Amino acid sequence: MHDETDETLARIAEALRPLPDVDPAEKARVLVAVATERERIRQHRVRVARRWKVSGAVGAVAAAGLVAAVWLSASRGEAPATQMASSTTAPASAPAPAAVDARLARDAKGLKAVQVVLRAPSAQRVSVVGDFNGWDSEADAMTRDPVSGLWSHTLTLRPGRHVYAFVVDDSMWMRDPRSPEAADEDFGRPGSVLLVGQP
Amino acid sequence: MSRLRSLQLIKTDSTTDAPAPGSAAERSVLVRAAQQGDVRAFAALVDAYYARCLRFALHMLSNRGDAEEAVQDTFVRVYRALPNYEERESFEPWLFRILANRCRSAGARERRRSEFVEFGEVPERANDRRHDEAIAWREEIARALASLPEEQREAFLMRHVEDLTYDDMAVATGAGISALKMRVKRACDALRLRLTEDDRARRD
Repeated sequence: MHDETDETLARIAEALRPLPDVDPAEKARVLVAVATERERIRQHRVRVARRWKVSGAVGAVAAAGLVAAVWLSASRGEAPATQMASSTTAPASAPAPAAVDARLARDAKGLKAVQVVLRAPSAQRVSVVGDFNGWDSEADAMTRDPVSGLWSHTLTLRPGRHVYAFVVDDSMWMRDPRSPEAADEDFGRPGSVLLVGQP
Repeated sequence: MSRLRSLQLIKTDSTTDAPAPGSAAERSVLVRAAQQGDVRAFAALVDAYYARCLRFALHMLSNRGDAEEAVQDTFVRVYRALPNYEERESFEPWLFRILANRCRSAGARERRRSEFVEFGEVPERANDRRHDEAIAWREEIARALASLPEEQREAFLMRHVEDLTYDDMAVATGAGISALKMRVKRACDALRLRLTEDDRARRD
């Protein structure tokens, strides 16, 4: 058996060891992909928490109905079985989903159109990324005005605070110089704050 | 981890072959911080390991686009899996386990390509005989490496290029140490045989 460190192997290893040139745009894409994943996880947690909140409210209403039914049947001297059954199903479908629908309707009504603009005459492609689109650079591509070199895009956002940035030519991440800088930088990358007013 | 500390750690050369954070202690500080949601620490890990991961993926897949995709996918999965990472495992073999899995999946999708990648700092000098020889030698190695069974190629690269110990390789591959030694030996024998023959043919 040859020694693993013989000359041929040493030459092979030497040829294979140099680190490849790294394309900064590719590395930037990794961070964007991780930021997108982070946002996806966060939104998933929010959805799960909401579901628990809604089912908790439904459960509380159902439990209250159950207690009331038991109390009523006890006060009437009846067997509680049938009332228990109806009380656990009837309230469950009434108040909580209605509240959720009402909130969703309010949210939809409160959506605001906001135009973002960036001056980048030599850029080939610009998109706006933020917490509203999961930091997805494919979601909101901006349009270039050929005369002014201004890139613009209209976002439809819920009222509140949003953090956003621009991705230029799929490689350069930059904050909006005209808006306040976000303190909570994502992945060490700068972002700007956008405040969308209440309806 | 303090903000200042994380800023210092992230201040590595972000465009080239930044070395992995020096000490195991430094790595474990970064990994712990990343586990606790410190995005700068995670970015520093990407910065530190990207070039090494890309090197491994390039040698495994022989195609730059596939390699970059596998590395990106690896870091996303690392981020997703961080809450389950246990500190008693070393980070590097854990990272290489995910990377090797991504490369296997990508390799299964795209078997055998004829495209070979060039990397390293071979100076661009036309008509330079030494330059041509260096290129030819790298291409031969790339071809010889690509001709190995995937398991042998993976074991050879981990041992002789990434300098992982056999214990770390066992974590990274899930294979036993004696099996790994056998894979490395077979890979070495095959490479030595093929490249010695090629070398002889070139000289004749």
